[in-house]
Amino acid sequence: MSLVEGLLGPEEPEVGCDDCFAELDRYVELELAGEDADAHLPGLRAHLAGCLACREEHESLRALLADDIG
Amino acid sequence: MDQESAAWVAALAGQGGDRDAALARLHALLLRGARFELGRRRGQLASLSAAERQDLATQAADDAMMGVLTRLGDFRGLSRFTTWAYKFALLEAATKARRMAWRDRELPRPPEDWLAVADPDGRPEAAAEHAELLAALRAAVAEVLTPQQREVLLTVVAGRVPLDVLAERRGTTRGALYKTIHDARRKLRAHLAEAGLLTGEEVRGR
Repeated sequence: MSLVEGLLGPEEPEVGCDDCFAELDRYVELELAGEDADAHLPGLRAHLAGCLACREEHESLRALLADDIG
Repeated sequence: MDQESAAWVAALAGQGGDRDAALARLHALLLRGARFELGRRRGQLASLSAAERQDLATQAADDAMMGVLTRLGDFRGLSRFTTWAYKFALLEAATKARRMAWRDRELPRPPEDWLAVADPDGRPEAAAEHAELLAALRAAVAEVLTPQQREVLLTVVAGRVPLDVLAERRGTTRGALYKTIHDARRKLRAHLAEAGLLTGEEVRGR
């Protein structure tokens, strides 16, 4: 993410960190199932774009579930 | 709710030996999640011994277990229980790792010449073709943000301080700090849009 992107953040409406955490498990399972996670949970993708901490945890949860599957 | 998730919830909400066994299984699951996260952050935690890393994983699993049990009533079965529980372990481990990595470090003050800070991808931002946007952005940061918004936004974005670390030093939460950043970004976008530097589309989330 460039400095400008970091300063301006995502242009779309986004949820906050608490709502992101509340829905992260469902979001990742929808993604891994090939479903349209963004349609089910609007605002979460934009938050992940704007919040590095939540984005890292989203990536970790995806990786952990993939690791479990082997 | 799927059958396996329902069994987890029933056992954890129950009593006696079944609950004890479920608690032990849950802790093992959370410990796996915490170790996984710390493993992804090996570089960040290079100064820790193996025993210290193990201790950090155990602390994260313990705290995650508290979180899972406290919020068990929030689990609606919209994902697998194990996925839901894992996110608590990842959050705790990631947060502890970020704070550990910064534990002996002073937070950088937002640099005076923050616009000259190199991009994370190595491109010198000031040399990019967005010179007009950058100049307006710099002026907007100085003029339209409150001192609190300016300091939080620049510390996190230009200073690259993790939100969790700044939250700990300020005695607040990640969510509250992100709200400050979000509000600051909306102000900057609106200001630049008024100056004709962003399209209306780009500020529709205002």
